Amino acid sequence: MEEKILEILEEHCEEALDYDGDSMMEDGVIDSFTVINVISDLEDEFDIEIDAKYVVAENFKNKEAIIALVQKLLEE
Amino acid sequence: MQLISYSFVALWMLTFALYYLVPKKFQWYILLAASLVFYVIGLRGFPLGLLLTAVTTYGCGIYLKNSLEREKTESSQCADKESKKACKAAFSKKRKRVQILYIVFNLGLLLLYKYAVVLMPFAETLTGSHIGFLEKVIMPLGISFYTLTAISYVVDAGRENCKIETDFLKVLLFLAYFPAVTQGPFNRFDKMKEQFEREHVFQYDRMLRAVQRFVWGAFKKLVIADRIGIFVDRVYGVETSSVTGSIYACATVLYMLQLYADFSGYIDMAAGVSESLDIMLPENFKRPYFAKSVAEFWRRWHITLGTWFKDYVMFSFVMSGTGRRISKACKNKASGMGRQVVPIIGTMLVWFFTGIWHGRTLAYMLWGVYYGIIMSVSLLLEQKYVGWKAKFHIKNGKAWSFFCKARTWVIVFIADVLIRSESLAQAGAIYSAFVTRLNLRTLLSREITSYGLSKYDFMLLAVVLLIWLAVSVLEERGEDVRTYFAYRPIVIRWAFYYGIVLLVLITGIYGGGYDTAAFMYQSF
Repeated sequence: MEEKILEILEEHCEEALDYDGDSMMEDGVIDSFTVINVISDLEDEFDIEIDAKYVVAENFKNKEAIIALVQKLLEE
Repeated sequence: MQLISYSFVALWMLTFALYYLVPKKFQWYILLAASLVFYVIGLRGFPLGLLLTAVTTYGCGIYLKNSLEREKTESSQCADKESKKACKAAFSKKRKRVQILYIVFNLGLLLLYKYAVVLMPFAETLTGSHIGFLEKVIMPLGISFYTLTAISYVVDAGRENCKIETDFLKVLLFLAYFPAVTQGPFNRFDKMKEQFEREHVFQYDRMLRAVQRFVWGAFKKLVIADRIGIFVDRVYGVETSSVTGSIYACATVLYMLQLYADFSGYIDMAAGVSESLDIMLPENFKRPYFAKSVAEFWRRWHITLGTWFKDYVMFSFVMSGTGRRISKACKNKASGMGRQVVPIIGTMLVWFFTGIWHGRTLAYMLWGVYYGIIMSVSLLLEQKYVGWKAKFHIKNGKAWSFFCKARTWVIVFIADVLIRSESLAQAGAIYSAFVTRLNLRTLLSREITSYGLSKYDFMLLAVVLLIWLAVSVLEERGEDVRTYFAYRPIVIRWAFYYGIVLLVLITGIYGGGYDTAAFMYQSF
């Protein structure tokens, strides 16, 4: 699963893979259009629905947070 | 009561003294009292609109809290996964309906305010009676700011992204908090609640930093914005045919700086006042004119408004049932560009609403649509840009970086003519003047000094703009300027502090009784 998420991130925003901070959206590494495209691909790939309530800076602060979000949604 | 006035400084000092003297658990009551005094007495604001929003926000929050608790209890009693899901969906649907009702009511109040002012003269003509006194009732100060702040709380509460408040007075304080009530920044409830409830201890260093930020804001407002304002008002106020394109260009460039100095100056002062009370406000500006694209410009300008629209309009639309349906239908169409349809609709919605939030005229709507189109085109051509850059062997050097910044300035420049002009006809005439009678020589002739600013004013402006630029460059490099000066030798440090204070006192633009011009964003 992790590998697939990193592949999706790499396709849309390579910088996100090297980013080691904790505010990827505020730091302008990933913009809202990229977030939307990443979400769309994650939903298709893992057959999940990412509700607007999950689209907050906290869940997209770095690649680990995105992996954790997908993991949480898969467990629900 | 402006932030730069004796009465405001007196209110600030009194609040500051009481805040650190009372027992820590009562500190937030002092903030609430100061906020209400500022709103009702200082701003002479009629509090009905604010109270209505506070009551409905509090009530909606309590409803959401009860509904979420009942949902947890009832869903835990469900026998299987399917019935649990159905139970949750039923509660969620009811909550959404209440939230929509709440949003419609509060946005309705906001629209009533915005458009009642336009309709008032017609109503007076029709009824033949003077109803101007109603303005105070239907024109609550800061409504554009506290309405969006309140909506963010209710949406976050429904999404379980913040704790729901059970104390009405804390909700009222969140909406009326005096440094932010008239011009923002847009606060988020969870961040403010934690700070309101924490115990605050006086610290000399923090107070010093807070005063520095306040004075820096006053410098931008009084020395830069209000001085530029004299020139811009005169140029845009005279008969259009008598002004050359180059004078208009100069006035518009200065207007871009005026708007930035005025609004960021206010934010600095508000943040300084708040910092002195150990309440940190979110940053609203990050040197927008250093942006290399329009999208980046708007991530650096009025940041909390942009984040608000992104979180509550853009993402809400894209993730909604409608957004998903459109997205599904368009995917894989138009050579892969189909997937951009929903973000583009979202962008246009965001910018249309941003336009009407800023002003009630057609010019603001066009201004919003203009930015929406630019953002959407940039999104569509993003991949092509990469190809073009490779084809023409363009490298990411300093020249390219400067070109990108200059391109952003030009786009903002064109938009600012639209919102600064008195009418669309004037805006059209000014665009035409840029092309048909630019006449660059007038910039070096005496004509430039016939619009309220003398040669010395221009020289002073050049100096203070250079100081502002130097500070901005330091900040852009990641330096905290206040910390930077705190570690300079004492002579340099205090020379800078006194220099700025003297500049504000000697060269600031004051009216009678040391009143200052109103802040520009206060009218939004």
